[in-house]
Amino acid sequence: MMMATVQRFPMFSSLSTTTNSYVPREVEEPSRDQFPAGLRVLVVDDDMTCLKILEQMLQKCSYHVTICCQAKIALAILRERKGGFDLVISDVHMPDMDGFKLLEVVGLEMDLPVIMMSADGRTSAVMKGIKHGACDYLIKPVRMEELKNIWQHVLRKKFNECKEVEQSGSVEDNDHQRRMTDDGEYASSANDGNDGGWKSHKKKRDAKDDEDNSELENDDPSTSKKPRVVWSVELHQQFVVAVSHLGIEKAVPKKILELMNVPGLTRENVASHLQKFRLYLKRVNGMAQHQGGISASFCGAVEPNTKIPPQALAALQAELLGRPAGNLVMPTMDQPILLPASIQNSTCIPAGCGVAFGQPIMKCQSNVSKQFSQPNVSSENVSSGFPSWSSNQLNVMVSPANLSIQNNMLVQMLQQQQPPSMSSESGHAINVQPSCLVVPSQSSNNTPAVNSPLSVHQNASYNSNGVFDYSSVTSQSNIMPLAGGQITDCNVGLLNGYLVPGAVPSSVTSCSVSTGSSTVWQPQNSSLYVNSSARLPGQVPNMSESYEAKAGISTEEMHMRNLGFVGKGTSIPSRFAVEDIGTLVDESSYDKTSVINGGDRVKQELNLDFMESAKVGIPVLQHYSSSDFMGVLSK
Amino acid sequence: MLGWGASRLEADMDRLLALLLHQGVLDGQFLELRQLQDESAPNFVSEVVCIYLRESDKHLRSLRTLLSDAETTDYKKIGVHLNQFMGSSSSIGAKRVRNVCLIFRTASEQSNRTGCLRSLEVLEYEYCYLENKLHELFHMEQQKVLASAVRYPLLLG
Repeated sequence: MMMATVQRFPMFSSLSTTTNSYVPREVEEPSRDQFPAGLRVLVVDDDMTCLKILEQMLQKCSYHVTICCQAKIALAILRERKGGFDLVISDVHMPDMDGFKLLEVVGLEMDLPVIMMSADGRTSAVMKGIKHGACDYLIKPVRMEELKNIWQHVLRKKFNECKEVEQSGSVEDNDHQRRMTDDGEYASSANDGNDGGWKSHKKKRDAKDDEDNSELENDDPSTSKKPRVVWSVELHQQFVVAVSHLGIEKAVPKKILELMNVPGLTRENVASHLQKFRLYLKRVNGMAQHQGGISASFCGAVEPNTKIPPQALAALQAELLGRPAGNLVMPTMDQPILLPASIQNSTCIPAGCGVAFGQPIMKCQSNVSKQFSQPNVSSENVSSGFPSWSSNQLNVMVSPANLSIQNNMLVQMLQQQQPPSMSSESGHAINVQPSCLVVPSQSSNNTPAVNSPLSVHQNASYNSNGVFDYSSVTSQSNIMPLAGGQITDCNVGLLNGYLVPGAVPSSVTSCSVSTGSSTVWQPQNSSLYVNSSARLPGQVPNMSESYEAKAGISTEEMHMRNLGFVGKGTSIPSRFAVEDIGTLVDESSYDKTSVINGGDRVKQELNLDFMESAKVGIPVLQHYSSSDFMGVLSK
Repeated sequence: MLGWGASRLEADMDRLLALLLHQGVLDGQFLELRQLQDESAPNFVSEVVCIYLRESDKHLRSLRTLLSDAETTDYKKIGVHLNQFMGSSSSIGAKRVRNVCLIFRTASEQSNRTGCLRSLEVLEYEYCYLENKLHELFHMEQQKVLASAVRYPLLLG
């Protein structure tokens, strides 16, 4: 019979793949697309009976089957042959490793669809499987009919990925939300101001069950994972200290947990974090090796005692600095259209923060701007105003000397020479990438009215460094006087979906509005303001899921790193922790950086030099996505 | 009339199978298993059943051991064994064994020792019955194969 329908895969020579010897007795109609045939499936089950039956059944479906009776071996196989499988079917109960654990690791590392199966068909068990991210849950006995259909999960996954890439131009809420959820474990954001629509994500650390439930809200089951712990700066640093004490290679979750000695933290939490941490280091390392020359300059600032390869540290450092994209990827950027400006303030970065993870990507787009509800500015104006922004970049970096706040916001503006259509295409977005947002201990009552601790008014004095008493500002509730500033505020809040701890308001310049935008913004008011503790009045309910609202966050203690790129496609597919800020900058204005030093000063700098070196173009963004180095943790 | 033996054996097999299905010892999953058997895996059913019987023996022994000591009975472990036993039983279509496992598991979840012991007895009985019947079935099948194998040389001769 028709041997032709049996696909032979050249890859796994040593593995016991059975397809080769398999001659299908009944061949599916030849007109059918060949896709499901040859699907590479790995079956993991410690029950030999089921394994055998499944193998035979899957072969009957013309799949390419690999069987394995131990989860750990399965994991080794998967790691060894990344990309060698399309789908994993795993039993839930296995002696050497829990099926859920396998599911998580596979989801994390390989991003493969995983189907769980068990004889236990109770709702609670199925629920658990789905919550852990299984794309399907089969109840034994597994039937042929079910197996014939499993290819759809592969297709769905691929489809979703495609969609994600396509969405680079416009990030939809769903996607956004999902990413935030994905990255939620690292979100130590204490101060998310958006509680508007988000009720479920508070007090996460102690309420796992609640969290589980809230996770169900997530549409995409494959991305939802087990209960999350919010890895605050402190927590993460404890973790890093523990890991470095043990040595990155020898660190095991149990020992780390003992060293950390944090109540409520479970071994699984630590294990998961360690997993990601290692993965992150690995990827960052690989990335850094690629870009070795560039990243070398950052090595010095990194904590010496952690046993982490220098390149990895360098990359981490770079990420902390908020310029990973700019620095590392810069050589590949060649788009003249967008000029990124980043602030170089390496001295301000604390060594301890070097290991902090980047925050999930938040993307803001101009089309989101219509949601702005600021009274001062009509929404139409705002939205129309964005495309018209001038090409100058604005960087605002807020970094208190004690390193609590560090915002690099890279703002790119479209050049005015750009045709309007172009500008509209590129969503100006504000991306805030706070590495560590959470400052748990402090209680600052943030009322929506309190906007930013720091407000920088730039009138004519762009060049001058404005020094502000930071602490005093913090205590005060500064409401942005300017419409522009408020708009910015709204942008951040809306786009990010959570309260932007350090919101860098971009200065709006008089000239910026020039192209056909009837913006209300006033040039005098070009207000860059950093709103670290303030809750943004306009909040997007959907987005802030992963952020935990902690009661007290003071601006001083926040460690934040905000990096904003305004790229053409604001959504960077690979979960970059890069955010785009669209701001109005007048043509004459240069890049401005406002830096809060020592918690009491705001300094504005011009970053022209950086602009020249770093040109962020659209292709670069795509490049990022593929290399993905920033987004390692965000998975 | 050597071919007659084979067909008679086949009829016997069918009858036995129908009986087991009727009794609820086996269910449709077993038939599905038989359909999976083809030239690529000519002994598929017997191989699977062999594996099943071997594994099930282990499970039963473990369960017996786990329940032997009243004080240290680990009901969770029992549950794990039962889950697996249930999974494999349902996979080959051993319906009654699976159902008893279900009851057993409920008892173990309630840490009901008496219920567990009783369930274990029933389980052992059911399993024993299934094992015998399966052996009978495969014995017939072997006979049938032999009978039909004998036929070919005669025909050739």
